[in-house]
Formats: sequence, C-alpha cells, structure tokens
Amino acid sequence: MSSMVAKVVAAVGFAVIAALLSLRFRLGLAREIGVAALRAGAQLAAVGAAIALVFSEPVLAFAFVAVMALTAAVTAGGRLRELPGARVRALIAITVPALAATGALLLVGAFSFTPRSGVPTAGILIGGALLATTLTGRRLLESLRDEASEIEARLCLGDGARAALAPAIRRAVTTGLIPVVDQTRSVGLVTLPGTFVGLILGGATPAEAAATQLVVLLALLAVQLAAGLLLTELMQRALILPGERLAPLLLER
Amino acid sequence: MRRSDDSDGIQVRDLRVTLAGRRVLDGVALSVPCSQVTGLLAPSGAGKSTLLRACVRLVEADAGSITLGGEDILALDARVLRRRVGFVAQSPAMLPGSVADNLRHGVDSLGDDELHEALRAASLDPAFAGRTARELSGGERARVALARALTRGPRLLLLDEPTAALDDAAAARIGQTLRGLRDRGLGICVATHDERFAETWADRRERLT
Repeated sequence: MSSMVAKVVAAVGFAVIAALLSLRFRLGLAREIGVAALRAGAQLAAVGAAIALVFSEPVLAFAFVAVMALTAAVTAGGRLRELPGARVRALIAITVPALAATGALLLVGAFSFTPRSGVPTAGILIGGALLATTLTGRRLLESLRDEASEIEARLCLGDGARAALAPAIRRAVTTGLIPVVDQTRSVGLVTLPGTFVGLILGGATPAEAAATQLVVLLALLAVQLAAGLLLTELMQRALILPGERLAPLLLER
Repeated sequence: MRRSDDSDGIQVRDLRVTLAGRRVLDGVALSVPCSQVTGLLAPSGAGKSTLLRACVRLVEADAGSITLGGEDILALDARVLRRRVGFVAQSPAMLPGSVADNLRHGVDSLGDDELHEALRAASLDPAFAGRTARELSGGERARVALARALTRGPRLLLLDEPTAALDDAAAARIGQTLRGLRDRGLGICVATHDERFAETWADRRERLT
C-alpha cells in the first residue's frame, strides 16, 4: 500500500473510531463527526488541487491569498455582528498585519519568494490574525455590554470616551493574545506545532524545522498583537460619537 | 445661603429625544437653578433618566436646547460639562479600588483634606476612604458616587432616583445631605417618582409628563 493510500485509510479509520465512540456513549455526535470528516476530506482535496494550480501559476498565489483574507474577514465579521461595518473592519485588522509580516519575511529572505513559501506563510499569519481579531472583538463587545455602567461612570467623571474605554480595551487585547502567548511559551514542551512537524515529516533537519517554527511563532505573536490593537482602534472609531459619547449599542439598556 | 437667578443653572427648552427609534422625550422643558433642590417628578419610564443624561450629553437631543449658565451645552467640551454638572446614576457603578481611588479618579491632585471634605459633604465618615468601593452597600455606593461627583467641583448635581433602593431613614439622610449641598450653593435636580421625598426635601418641583 502506498504511503498516500495508507494515510487516507488511517484518516478514515480515526473518523470511524470517533463516530463509534460517540454512538457507544450516546453523545449524539456520530452524524456530525461523519459530516465533518467528509467536509474536511473534500475541502483538503479541493485545496490540494488549488494549491497545485497556484504553485504552477504564480499569479494565482495572490488570488489565493486574497480569498483566504476575505474568508477570514467574513468569519470574524460574523462573530462581531453588533459592530457596524464588522467585516470591513475585520478585513483591515486581519490583512494589514498578516500581509505586512508575510512581505517582511519574504523580503528579508526568511522564506523564498515563491508561491510554495509565500502562500502557506500568509495562510498561517492570516489564520492567527483571524483568531486574535475574533477573540479580541468578542471580548470587547461583551465587556462593553457587561461594564456599561462603569464606562458611563467614567464618562460622568470627566473621562474622554477613549479613556473610559481603555480598561476594557486592555482586557480585550490581552484575551486575544492568550492563545499565541501560551503556544509560544509551551512550544516543544507541551506541543510540537504544525510547521515543525510538517517540515520534519517533509525531510527537513530538526535545526531547520526549529528555526522556521521560531520565526513563524514570533511573527504570529507580533501579527496577533497588531491585529488585536488595530481592531480595537477600528472599533473605537465606530463606537465613539461626537461629544465624548458612545454608540447606543453600548450604553442603552 | 447664596441665591442665584435661573441663568446660572440649567435651562432645557422644547427638548426632543429619540432612542432606538422611540420618541422618549418631546417638547420637554426643565429649569434647574443653583442653590435650590429641584424635584423632577414623573412615573417610572417617563424619560427622567434620559432627560438627565441629555443634560450631560450622554444622549443626543434631536431638537430643542439645553443651556448651562446661559451657554449652549453643545458649545462646551463634554468633559468640561460633565465636571461642571455632576450626574449620579440610579445604581452608580464603583470603579476598582478603594473609595479614595474612586474620589481621586481624574483628579490626582486631590489632597486628603479635600477628599475627607467631599466624604463629609456626602454624609460619609472620612474613615470610608480606605474601604473597597465595590464591597459597599447600595446606600453607601450612592453616597460615594455623590462624593465622587463633588470632587470635580460641580456647579450642579443631577441625581437619578437616589432613594430608589433605600428605606425611609436612609432616604431622609440623602435628603439632608442634598440640603447641605444646596446651602453651599449647588443646584441640585433629583429625578424621583417618590412624591413624598420631593415634597419633603425639594425647594421646587417640576413634573415630567
């Protein structure tokens, strides 16, 4: 049996085990697991074909990255529906830091200037920015609702709107950064992250894999922080009204 | 006791406010002169809170005017306005930290003497300064919020249902506190649905219909 066939058989086997466990313990997840496994198979097959096309036609790399960025913006925007213009704001918060970091990594020669390097790098960084944007935005919206009376108290004491929002913004940005900080701290001790594993399986030396993983992790840290900060800035622009007031979404109860 | 004419205080004329598509106030007038306690009487849901919030620009009016000392409040920096006109919400939120931290918020230069004076003016013992603000009872919070507003040196105070959750004795203490502040020259507007409280403690009454 070829390695590729073995991988597909193993993947199906794991999906079947998960579905059987769900049935045995009456978790009601068997159907969902089956659908998720089929979707994952179809999506990965499609993405594999698309990537093969992208690698042979470099111009398509830009289109592929654009689709990833738009999909990320739609996903994050859907999580921040209460925010006016959520998708556009999410698109800016995700793409500006992710693409700037990708460009910087390619320019300094950390990765070769080819679709084979650029597309996965952009993908990892867009994915990280999406996570930070969603977590930061959700946390900020929740905290603005839950702490509306505290924010109003600050306004009444003469704080400007930005000063009144500052504690909630700090908490939101911190929350958005927790996963990547934990991932960076625990790398190699608790988990072997995807880039490292992928490179090792692909035949790279452990030193090459470690160096690549390090640059990806630290780029992710910077991109996610920048995405969180950018999103909170864009949210403040949407929510702060003239006269140091906040949009009714926050303070009308 | 200093008496001043109406032009020192707040004048609301023909105010209209719409919130979330609902007309909350329409054609409303209100006068809050200095050195007097004004009782703003209305049943719950009549828009008292919205009216007070409009006076400190927490909500925007569609039409009408609000002046402070004869000057349109829209011409004032909102931060300056909110220091000149203290607004204490019905359930005032305490900021993290001690009562002293709350009173010093935004006025770092506030000395101990001024801090204790503000507490006393709100009928609180200066020993309250070290208490954790978020552990206080509802009545104590209302007084700390009052003291906190006073540390900004306001000309006027707008209080939204300050006795809503208090028993008669605690409400009477609030009434006495307001009279003490009035005697120091402050203009006070108490929005309340409690006719008896307004009759006992307000110098003048206005009704929001």
